[in-house]
Amino acid sequence: MSMRVILRSLTTMLLCAVAWLAHAKPVELRFVVWDGDESLRVLRRVVQDFEKAHPGIKVRLENVDYTVYFQKLLAQYAANTAPDVAMLDVQNFQRYARRGALAKLDEFLATDPQLKVDEYYPEIVRAFRYQKDLYVLPRDIAPIGLIYYNKRLFREAGLALPDGNWTWDYTPRPELGSQCFTYCMQQLTKKGANGRMTQWSFAPSWTGAFTDTVAFSSGARYVNDPEAFTSLNFTDPRVVRAFDWVAEVANKHHWIPSQTELTSVAQTTAVQLFISQKVAMYQSGIWDVPKVRDALKPGSPEFFDWDITLAPGYKDPATGKTLRAAPTGGSGYAVLRSTAHPREAWLLARWMAGEPGMKAMAQAGIAQPAIRRLATGPDWIPNEQTPIDQRYPASRIVTDRAVPFVVFPPSAEYWSEVSGLVFSKTEPIYTGQATAKVALGEGSKIASRRLQAILTEEELPPFDWIKGIIIGVVLVGGILFWVFWPERSVKRSVAERAESRTGFIFLAPWILGMIVFTVGPMILSLLMSTANWDIIQPAQYRGLGNYREALTQDPRFWKSFKVTAIYTVVSVPLGIAMSLGLALLLNTRVKGMALFRTCFYLPALASAVASALIWRKIFQPEGGILNLILFGSDGQRNLFGLASWLGNDGQMPNWLGDQNLALPALILMSIWSCGGSMIILLAGLQGISESYYEAATLDGAGPWNKFKAVTIPLLTPTLFFTLITGVIGSFQAFTQAFVMTGGGPNDSTRFYMLHLYDQAFGLLRMGYASALAWILFVVIFGVTVLQKRLERRVQYGGDA
Amino acid sequence: MRTRKQILHRLTRAIVMVLLVAGSIAFLMPFYTSFTMSLKSPSELATTAAWSWPKDASLKNYGEVLSNPNVDFRRLFLNTVIISTTATFGAVLSSSLVAYAFARIRFAGRERLFWLVLSTMMLPGIVTTIPTYVLCKYLHWVNTFLPLTVPAFLGGGAFNIFLLRQFFLGLPKELDEAARLDGASHWVIYSRIVMPLSGSALATVGIFTFIYNWRDFMGPLIYLNDVEKQTLEIGLATYNALRAEQWQLLMAGSVLVTIPLIILFISGLRYFVKGLAMTGFK
Repeated sequence: MSMRVILRSLTTMLLCAVAWLAHAKPVELRFVVWDGDESLRVLRRVVQDFEKAHPGIKVRLENVDYTVYFQKLLAQYAANTAPDVAMLDVQNFQRYARRGALAKLDEFLATDPQLKVDEYYPEIVRAFRYQKDLYVLPRDIAPIGLIYYNKRLFREAGLALPDGNWTWDYTPRPELGSQCFTYCMQQLTKKGANGRMTQWSFAPSWTGAFTDTVAFSSGARYVNDPEAFTSLNFTDPRVVRAFDWVAEVANKHHWIPSQTELTSVAQTTAVQLFISQKVAMYQSGIWDVPKVRDALKPGSPEFFDWDITLAPGYKDPATGKTLRAAPTGGSGYAVLRSTAHPREAWLLARWMAGEPGMKAMAQAGIAQPAIRRLATGPDWIPNEQTPIDQRYPASRIVTDRAVPFVVFPPSAEYWSEVSGLVFSKTEPIYTGQATAKVALGEGSKIASRRLQAILTEEELPPFDWIKGIIIGVVLVGGILFWVFWPERSVKRSVAERAESRTGFIFLAPWILGMIVFTVGPMILSLLMSTANWDIIQPAQYRGLGNYREALTQDPRFWKSFKVTAIYTVVSVPLGIAMSLGLALLLNTRVKGMALFRTCFYLPALASAVASALIWRKIFQPEGGILNLILFGSDGQRNLFGLASWLGNDGQMPNWLGDQNLALPALILMSIWSCGGSMIILLAGLQGISESYYEAATLDGAGPWNKFKAVTIPLLTPTLFFTLITGVIGSFQAFTQAFVMTGGGPNDSTRFYMLHLYDQAFGLLRMGYASALAWILFVVIFGVTVLQKRLERRVQYGGDA
Repeated sequence: MRTRKQILHRLTRAIVMVLLVAGSIAFLMPFYTSFTMSLKSPSELATTAAWSWPKDASLKNYGEVLSNPNVDFRRLFLNTVIISTTATFGAVLSSSLVAYAFARIRFAGRERLFWLVLSTMMLPGIVTTIPTYVLCKYLHWVNTFLPLTVPAFLGGGAFNIFLLRQFFLGLPKELDEAARLDGASHWVIYSRIVMPLSGSALATVGIFTFIYNWRDFMGPLIYLNDVEKQTLEIGLATYNALRAEQWQLLMAGSVLVTIPLIILFISGLRYFVKGLAMTGFK
């Protein structure tokens, strides 16, 4: 009894001490988001207010680009340096919640009566629950069910302005006027005198958003249960018809422009079509408002009157009822379980995703608040006091009307993997290269097989680390043995031994680097290639299962391997030929050589983030400079007969959107960055002494013979260097596809590394990704050995 | 006969010139496009073709990028300069030492150790990211410049070692053999003979390493948390945020980020000419 009293008082004292210490030293919280410039400004202000209201807490706001956000979060989680509060979205939170990385918010909510969850839209709160528990406090809800429309073009076409009660149908219904979306599509499309389109009726932010709207509003859903689905509905006739109809609208009627982004890359420029009045209607979410507002300042010459309305519904002919659906996303703030200050982290999350944070975001017009009261109040809905340039769009209240129809992407964590297998197959539907029935049937079959494999995955035994460490040590020993075993019989003199010692002193930095930074991670990845490892939870032993899966089951392994092999075989020789040609040109004595050299190297200097956008602009089907050069501004030119070869029923080639052209486009792009090997070859050329050429001239050799007899043989080591490193590099090509095409269309640019990256950081299958990496290692090693052999033969051949 | 040769010479020169000019225009296209886009207002950007010259060109976007307190350009510039310079210094120094050993010193296991160097290039870095990050956490290196600079001093990367080794192998052996006979040590040969002769190769390694670090996205992204410690490439990504892209600012920023590299490259080119002059013996 007394023991318990002592213990209790001790605990109390300890707690007091901790509280005092905590009070004395401000608690520092790390808070990470993915956000643009504008919302960062707002967040920073709100964070400052939070710090003022909570003097004991300091907040460090970190911002990470969305495309790599989860990769960083995972690395931090593995190293136990994760932030305290993190932004998460509907598609990605389950992956972390399921593995116990996120704190359950209901516990905090129970102690926090001021925060009322029923003030939030129930739809988004439901979306952030996993097995009944709430893990993310929603900050915004983002239905893609809005149509931005150009009032002037509606009036010009003699159509009444849409009121949101409209419906779409498979064919136009003139009797309904602007109540029929399809009729509007037909009426708002304009053809020029030469038969080319001058104005389209409509563009979705990305084509899939429109397809989803059509499929969902005709009553279909892609899966049977969003939280934990067990079957796919992609062969539902309504889904098939939706895909076919969207393709028909684009390819047969040309109501939708073909340059709409078909590939699955997040970065879209479709909103510019609306701003430039090339389309009369534009489907997107509310997030495009700042862009449109920025470009269309009232009083500027570009300005036209515009507004937003609800996306059309579908009148079911059987029941006469109108069905509506809006594909939707949403984000919010989660408290990480690893935080040392859960209480303070909760205070921050509820501040940012509560009234203070949401009000500020609403006033800036950036995101639709998840609290309904705010989403219908004066902070969000413009009124007479709102400055004129912030008053657009006037009907912002439709964002609230869209909420009852929201359809979130399935939150089941395997959705992205399974749906990816289907959606990559559907990309050729939009370009008219496949019918929906065939493509969806095929994709569905592959995806269902994978789904079954996921659902029937067995529990595996935990990874035996002691055995692992022993194997690692044995491996290192084996490599050292392989390196030094042949040396045992070599007799060395004292001087030779001293020389050898000097060698190792010169090597010391590299050896240290190997020991500290390279060997450990490499061995670990080799061990993990025999495991199931999701980074968050302890690894499980899988034997050779990963390798077996890659070589025999993975539907994308061979495809991505083929794509990479083709890319390597074409782009490396082409790149070397190009850089050798350029290096030879740049090694002549012409005025302004420094300028020329810089020009040719410039593409290799440009920032990768910006280059992606530039190259998308270059490859744009309509108005892209590549097509402009090939086909002229009127599309009538036929440079080198390319038009008839590339052309697709008189339409401009859609470089990045066509499964036959996307890889050639990336290869073309890679040639532009051949500056690196050009410089190396140039350095090699400069290393060739003039005297060789002089001797050759004395022998009466012409330029061609000099090139053959002097330049090429003396450049051989450099050429082989560019060849070997070029092959190693292009087997690991990643960035181009990652930023330009995301692997599409139809996996035609899914490089091996892209597949590997997806597995590692998209699907948290680090063990499987490691197996893929080691398979690639073996392939590259083999190819390099072959090249080294070839090099030796060429060199000896040259000597003989 | 002479005139024919002269005509031929002039013709070759003309062809070379035409090829150079045409090629330059083609290779300038991407940069030119980002430049024109950087001069436009959001509305003009949306309503005109990307490469068209702006009706009213203005440097407003540049002003905005340079004065944005959210993305402190000067701070990021300084960080990037510190990281890139340190890493370049480290890489040139250590990779030349290691490459010299592989090219000129006979030590036990040389050939096979070189295969180990090459093999470190062959494993995709994606699968070693996490363990390396965890390692850096134990070294207390997270959120510092150390993970981005210190490894450069430890070998300088397989690519650089390989490049310099190939170049050193091409240098005439007679030179250092003569020096060896005079009793010079490897340190002397390395620092007095090989390094001075390798201007263009060292410049290549230096330029490559600097540019790599300047443009690196993944490294700073993973290792640096604080906004004030970030690099230019990370700062640029702010203008390319998901669904909140500001293309005109992105382009202005990217032009600004590229200009120092152009200056560096042009000044680095001098070493190429030097390299030519100094290897003009034998």
